[in-house]
Order: sequence, then C-alpha cells, then structure tokens
Amino acid sequence: MVELLCTLATVVVLLVLGFSVGSWTEAHHFHSIALRHQRLQHMLVSDLPNFPYAVPSSMPPQMLVGEVVVASDYFKSFAASLRNLVGGRVQSYERMLERARQEATLRVLEQAHALGYNAVCNLRIESVDVGGNTAPGRMPMASVLAFGTAYVAQLPQSSPAPASAHDAS
Amino acid sequence: MIVVNTEYIPGYRIVELRGLVQGNTVRAKHLGRDIAAGLKNLVGGELRGYTELLTESRREAMQRMIQQAEQLGANAIVNVRFSTSAVTQGAAEMYVYGTAVVVHPEQPPQTAQPVEPETPQA
Repeated sequence: MVELLCTLATVVVLLVLGFSVGSWTEAHHFHSIALRHQRLQHMLVSDLPNFPYAVPSSMPPQMLVGEVVVASDYFKSFAASLRNLVGGRVQSYERMLERARQEATLRVLEQAHALGYNAVCNLRIESVDVGGNTAPGRMPMASVLAFGTAYVAQLPQSSPAPASAHDAS
Repeated sequence: MIVVNTEYIPGYRIVELRGLVQGNTVRAKHLGRDIAAGLKNLVGGELRGYTELLTESRREAMQRMIQQAEQLGANAIVNVRFSTSAVTQGAAEMYVYGTAVVVHPEQPPQTAQPVEPETPQA
C-alpha cells in the first residue's frame, strides 16, 4: 500500500516538474528563436538550388551545417502515451519538432552571418539518427540536421548606386 | 577546398570531374550521456551531449570525405548529401557524400589590380 502511494507520488511529482519546467523551457526557447529570427531578418534564405541574387565576391560559397537534439519532458511523454490510446494529433511533439527545426536552421544562419555571408540557399532540413535512438521504446527526442550553402547576395532594389557616379567636380 | 551542397558554384567553372567521394563514421553514445539524457528527458530541453555527438561525427565524416577529394586532386566538392542510419541500438552511422571536382575561377576577383602610379623621383 505504502509502496503504491510512493510510486504514485513520484509520478505526480515528475509530472508537475515536467509540466512546469518543460513549459517554461519551451516558452523561453520559442522566445529566443523569435528574437534571433528578427536579428537575422535581412538574410536571404531559400531551399532553391540556384543561388538567387548571387553577386561576385571574394568569398567562395560554403556549406554550413547546424544540428540539435531536443528532448521531450515527462509530462509531454505521458500526455502522448495517453493520446496513443485514442489516436489523433500530438501537439506537444509537434512543438518539440518545430523547436528542433527552427534551432538547427538558426544555427546555420548564425554561422553564415558570423562569417560575413548574407544569404543561404539549398537549405535542407533532415531528421537524423543519433546513437541508434529510433528503435521503438527509446526516449522521445527530435534530432535535426540542417545544412545549406552560404553565399553573398544583393537584392536588386537595394543595390546602391556607385558612389563615383555622383562625382560633381 | 570549397564544399557546397549545390550542383555548381557561382563564379567558378567546373573543368574536371574526379568522381564520388564519401566519408562515414559510426559512433556509439556512452553511458554518461545516456544518464544525462534520461534526466533531461524529465524536464525537456536540448540534449547537449547528443548534439555534440552529432557534431563530432559529422565533422569526422566530412573530414574523411575532404581527404578523399584531396587525394583525387580535386579542389571542390559539390552536391554534398548527408544520411544517417541506426546500426544497432546505441550506435548510429553518419554518412556524407558528394562529387569531387576541379574548379577554376571564372574571372580573377577584382583584387588583382596593380594600380601603382609612378611617382616622379625628385
């Protein structure tokens, strides 16, 4: 009897802990993703294979890779296992995958920005296997690999007129 | 070595094809990372240990691919792709492959401009 109560209490504590900390972490992460996206708004991102608006540059294009593994929390896993009884949409896992994708993409963009590129093309986002975790019954997690080619681009309307053209002697 | 995942490189002309190059690595995770990941799975968040594992194996696979390309005398790899597969429970393969090519710049960049006006000697 006591043992059963102990087990139940542990589960409840883990559920509360998973819900509170997990929700907070997720909200914090989504907030940080929004902020970083805003900072990198000027970058031209596409999954086109043909370098839109590329301009000649001394820096050759370069492939950049970003990866991240995001874990689920106890509450989400529990809710998902309940959902498994009736089927349907598992929103908590949708958000987990969304977080991982956004984070991996941002890591590519941030590297490109740091190296002085302003565009990324042919961006691919893949789910990958880390340490054989796709086997059934393993921990739920989202592992994502994003990669794309960074290059230097210039949009036509924002191209400044050459300074020498305005030479009024 | 220019590495891209596109079929061509703007500003460069592919003059020679040297063939497919590839690199792979099989990595097992260790128990410490598993324990940390198990704890992290209670509260959610990024599994840093697994992210590092992914980064390490990707770097090593790419290094092997680049080495192969160098041996073939190539100076660029185009159309790079990644692929992973679970070998057993606990070990995964990271595989990267692409086409090794020799590229030449289409025009020398504008840096090569020997503008040195002759200064009259007094």
